[in-house]
Amino acid sequence: MRSALLLVKIGWRNLWRNPRGTLLTALALGLGLALLLISLGLLDGGHEQTIADGVRLGPGHVVIQAKGYQDSGSDELLLPAQVVSRIEGFLQTAEMKKLVRGVSPRLLATGLLSSSANSAGVRIMGVIPQDEPAVSFIPQRIVEGTYLSDDRPSGVVIGAELARELEVKIGSRVVLMTQALRQPGVETKKGAGEEMQSTLLRVSGIFRTGLQAVDANIIQLPLPAAQTLLGVPDGQVTQVALLLQQEGDSPMVARALLKQLTGEPVEVLTWRESIPMLAQILGLDHAFNYIMNGVILAMVGLGILNTILMRVLERRYEFGVSKALGLRPGQLAVMVIGESLALTAISLALGLALGLSVEHYFATSGLDLRWIFKADLPSALVLDPILYSRLSSNRIIWSVSIVFAMTTVISFYPALKAARTELPDALKGL
Amino acid sequence: MSGRLLQLAWRNLWRNPRRTFITMAAIAFGYTMLLFVACLMAGLRWQMIQNGTCLIMSQIQVHAPGYYPSRSIKKTLGGRQGTDVSAMLAAVTSDRRVYAAAPRVYGYGLLSAAHRSAGVELMGVVPDQEPKITILNGQIAKGSYLNARMPKGVVIGDKLASTIGIDVGSEIVLLTQAADGSMGNDVYTVAGIFHSGLDAVDRGLVLMALSSLQDLLHLAPARIHEVGIKLNDITAATTVAAGLQVQLDKTLPVQAMAWPELAPELASYVQFNHAITFVLFFIFFLLAVLGIMNTMLMAVFERTRELGMLMALGMRPVQVIVLILTEAAGLAVASLVVGGALGVPVLWYLQEHGLDLGGATGGVISLAGVVVGHLWYGRQDFPAYGEAAVGLAATALVSALYPAWRAAHFQPTEAIRKV
Amino acid sequence: MLLGLALSSVALMSHAADDQGARETVERVARLFSSKSSIATVKMQISNEDGQRDISMKIWSLGEKVLVRITSPQDEAGTAILKVGSDIWYYLPKSNRTVNVPASMAMTSWMGSDFTIDDLVKETFLTRDYSISTFFVGKRGGVAVEEYTLTPKPEAAVVWGKIILQIRKADAVPTWQGFYDEDGQLVRELTFSEYKRMGGRLIPTRLVMRAADKAGAQTTIEYEDIAFDVPISPGTFSLPDLK
Repeated sequence: MRSALLLVKIGWRNLWRNPRGTLLTALALGLGLALLLISLGLLDGGHEQTIADGVRLGPGHVVIQAKGYQDSGSDELLLPAQVVSRIEGFLQTAEMKKLVRGVSPRLLATGLLSSSANSAGVRIMGVIPQDEPAVSFIPQRIVEGTYLSDDRPSGVVIGAELARELEVKIGSRVVLMTQALRQPGVETKKGAGEEMQSTLLRVSGIFRTGLQAVDANIIQLPLPAAQTLLGVPDGQVTQVALLLQQEGDSPMVARALLKQLTGEPVEVLTWRESIPMLAQILGLDHAFNYIMNGVILAMVGLGILNTILMRVLERRYEFGVSKALGLRPGQLAVMVIGESLALTAISLALGLALGLSVEHYFATSGLDLRWIFKADLPSALVLDPILYSRLSSNRIIWSVSIVFAMTTVISFYPALKAARTELPDALKGL
Repeated sequence: MSGRLLQLAWRNLWRNPRRTFITMAAIAFGYTMLLFVACLMAGLRWQMIQNGTCLIMSQIQVHAPGYYPSRSIKKTLGGRQGTDVSAMLAAVTSDRRVYAAAPRVYGYGLLSAAHRSAGVELMGVVPDQEPKITILNGQIAKGSYLNARMPKGVVIGDKLASTIGIDVGSEIVLLTQAADGSMGNDVYTVAGIFHSGLDAVDRGLVLMALSSLQDLLHLAPARIHEVGIKLNDITAATTVAAGLQVQLDKTLPVQAMAWPELAPELASYVQFNHAITFVLFFIFFLLAVLGIMNTMLMAVFERTRELGMLMALGMRPVQVIVLILTEAAGLAVASLVVGGALGVPVLWYLQEHGLDLGGATGGVISLAGVVVGHLWYGRQDFPAYGEAAVGLAATALVSALYPAWRAAHFQPTEAIRKV
Repeated sequence: MLLGLALSSVALMSHAADDQGARETVERVARLFSSKSSIATVKMQISNEDGQRDISMKIWSLGEKVLVRITSPQDEAGTAILKVGSDIWYYLPKSNRTVNVPASMAMTSWMGSDFTIDDLVKETFLTRDYSISTFFVGKRGGVAVEEYTLTPKPEAAVVWGKIILQIRKADAVPTWQGFYDEDGQLVRELTFSEYKRMGGRLIPTRLVMRAADKAGAQTTIEYEDIAFDVPISPGTFSLPDLK
C-alpha cells in the first residue's frame, strides 16, 4: 500500500515537472468537457425554446378548459366560476408556485370588428393584462402603441395585418360586435332573440408576430370587458393557460391539477395534447438533438484520444528510463494510471469551471443567433433570435461522468502499452 | 513558397509517422463527422420544408399583384379578363427547375347542413393536376378524393365533418359572396373526408373542383387566383420565384412568392437548423485548434536542434514560420482528403438508405402524411462541405501560429546544443 | 327597416347639454322611416368597377323582425332574408335551402353594395349615441338648409368620428348625410332626393350611398312604395314559411 501511495505521489510530481505540457493537456481535455456542457445547454435550451415558442402562441404548457372544448372548439363551453377559483387557489400553493411561470385565464369567442373603413371577423381573447404577458408572446410583439392595461378598460390590441385591413392606427375607434354566448343549462328566451352586443374600443397597441393567421385575426382586450360584452358572468372563462419553468414538468402539473379537480367537468391538457402538431415537430427536434449530442460526444472523445496518445508517446523515453532504473511494469502502470486520474481530475475541474461559467452567461444573457445567421434574415422573425441555455444538473453529472469514463478508458491502453514497452525501443526515442 | 520548402515540410510531417498519423486520423474522422452531420441536417431541413409545403401550400405561389395576403376574390390573375390558364401553366413548367404546376381558386363562405353551419375556406383545384403538387389526395380517411364523376363533390376535414354532423354522401350548401356581389350558393355532396393532422385545415377547409368553385363565385373559367408550383429542388425556391416573376411579368403582372415568404415560421426554423450546424462546426474547429497546436508544438520542440541548425545555416525566422505553417497546412489537407474519402460512402449511404433512429424519435411520426418516422435521409450539402473544409484549413493555420512563432525565436546557438 | 339604416331612431330622453331645438329636429328626421310596422317595395342599384346590378325587393318589418324578399333579377328572385333579433336566416332558391348565418360572420358589404352589415343588423340610435349641435344655417345651392353636427358620446359603440346631417329647412326632410372618421376625413356620404308623399309622410324616395374613396362606386335605393303601421301578421316572419 505504501508503495502504491508513493507511486501516486511520484505520479503527481511527474505531472508538474512539465507544467506547461500538463496544463495544456488539462486544458485540452477540460475544453472537451466545457464544450460538451455548453452545447448540451444550448441544445436543450433551444429545444425548450421551440416548445415555449409554440405553446406561447396558444394554450401554454398546460391548459385547463371545459370538458369537450378541445374537440368541439365551441365557444359556449366555459369553465364554471368555482372551478376557476379552485384552480387559482391551487396554483397559489408553494409547490405550484415554484413550477409555474405564468397563469393566464382567458375568454375566447368570435366577433366582428368594424372601423370607419372596413369590418373583419376576429377571434376575441379576453385576458388579464398583467397575467397574459407571462404566458403569451403577443404582448411582447407590440410594434406600435402599448399593450393592454387595467386602467384602460376599453383598450384593444390587434395584429398588424388587421390594422392594415381596417385602416386604423393607435387611438382609432373600433366597434366590436358579437353575439352573447348561449350557455347550456341557462334558460334562453325564445323568440326575443339575443341582442347583438356592441362595444366601443380604442386601439391601444398593434402587434406583429409574423404569423399571418395571428396578425390578421386575433384581438386581445381586458377580460372584464370581454365578459360584459359576451354576457358571461364574472369569474367564468374559456380556459386557464399555464406556462411552466420547465417543459418537462408538464405531465406532473397536469396530473396534480386533474387530481385537484376530480368530479368537475374539465379537461386538463398538456401541450402535447392541445397542440399535437407541435408535439410531432418536436419529436423531430428531439431526435435531431440526440444526433448532435452524439456527434459532439464523438468529437470530444476524439479530442481526448488525440491528446492522451500524444502525451503518452511523448513520454516513452521517460518510461524507458524508469524501467531501466528498476521500476516494474505493474508499478509503472499504477504510476501512469495515477497520473491519468490526477490529470483527469484537474481537467474536469478546469472543464467544469470554464463550461459552467460560459453556460451561465448563455443562460442569463443568451446567445444571439443573429451573429450566426447569414445576411438573409426572414423579414418577420417568428422565433426569438436569442437562444438561452438550459443545463440541468442531470446533464452536468452525465457529462462529467462520460468524459471521466472516456478519459480513463482511453488512458488504459497507452498505460498498458507503456508498461510493456521494451527497454531498448523506449530509450531509442531520442 | 518554394518547392523545396514544401518538400521539407512534407518530409518533416512524416518523420514521426505515429504522431502525425494519430492527429491526422483524429482530424479526418472529425471532418467525416462534420460531413455526416451536414448531410443529415440538410436532409432534415429538406424534410421539414416538404412537410410544411406539400400538404396544401405548395412551394411557390403565383398571384396577381395585391392578391396576397387579403385574398380578395376579385383579384384574379390577369384582372377581370383573367388569363389563358393552360398557357400560363405551360410557361411556368417550361422552367426546368419546376416539377409541376396547377391552378387554384379560393373563396370564403358558409357551409350549412341540417341546422348547423360553419365558416369555411373554399379551395378549388383541378382533380388530376393538383395531386402533382400536393398530397392532400393521399390523406382521404373516408370516401374518395375529387373526381370527374362527381363534379359537385367536395372533400372536407374530419373535424369539420364531426362539428357539423355530416358524413360521406351528406348534402351541404355552400353560401358565399360571389365576385359580382350576389349571394353565390349551391348544393354539394360530401365525396370524401380527409385527415391532415393540422387542426385549422381539418376544421376549416373545403376542397372542391376548380370549375365548381368558379361557378359558385360567378368567375369566368379564365379567372383563377393562383398557380401553385412544386419544384425539383426545394431549397432553390426563392431564386426560382424571382426568375419566374421576371419571366411571367412579360405577359401579365404577377407576384411570385416562395414558401419562406408564405410560411415565415418554417423559414425561421430552417435557418435555426442551419445555424446549429455551424455552431457544431465551430465546436469542432475549437477542439481541432488544441489538437493541432499540441501536435505542432511537440513537433517543433522535438526538432529544436535541427531547426537551430537550419537557422544557423542561414534560414531566416520568417522562413521558419512559413515552414511550420506549411506543415500544419499539409497536415490539414491530408486529413481533409482522408476524411473526405471516408465520407463518400457515409454520405452515399445516408442519401440512399437513410439513418434508422429507432426509438429516438418516440415512434413513427407522420407529419402531413409524409412518414418521417425513424428513417432519416440525408441530402448533399456541398457548400457546407466546402465551408467545413476551408474552416478546418484555416484552423490548422491558426493553431500552428504559436508553435511557429516559438520556433522562429529559437536562438540558433542554444538550439544546436539541445539534446 | 333596412332603410332605417342611418335614420331610424328610438325616442329616448334627450340630454340638456344639447341644442334642444337641434335634437328635436334630428329626432323627427330620424323617425321618418320608423314605425311599428311597414311594408316597402324597393329597388337597389349597385354600381362599381365591375358594372351595375339592379335588385328589386319587398321588405316587411314588424318591431325587431325584418323580412326581405328579392323579386328580381331572375337568378336571385325568391331569395329571402329573415332577421329576428340577432338571428339571420337566408332562404336560397337555387339550393332550395334555408341557412342560418351568424351575424358576425356575414359579409362585410351586404350584397356587394356600399351598405354594410352594420347598417342591416344594428340600429343606429342617432339621438341616443350622439350629441347634436347646429353647425350651419343658411343656403346651400340656393336651398335653405340646416346642418347639424352629430358627435358620438364617449361610450357610444359607433365607428364614426362625426356625422353631419343636412336638412331642408322648409319641410324638415334630410338632404345629405356625411360620415366622417376621427381625423375628420369624409368616409361615406348619403344623398337624399325625389321627395314624395308615401304612407302619409313626405319622404326622400331616392337614397344614394357613396364611399368617399371609391370613385364611381355607389349604391342607390329607390322606394317605389312604402306603407307605415300596416297590420302584418307575426306569422310572416316564421322560418318554415321562408320559402
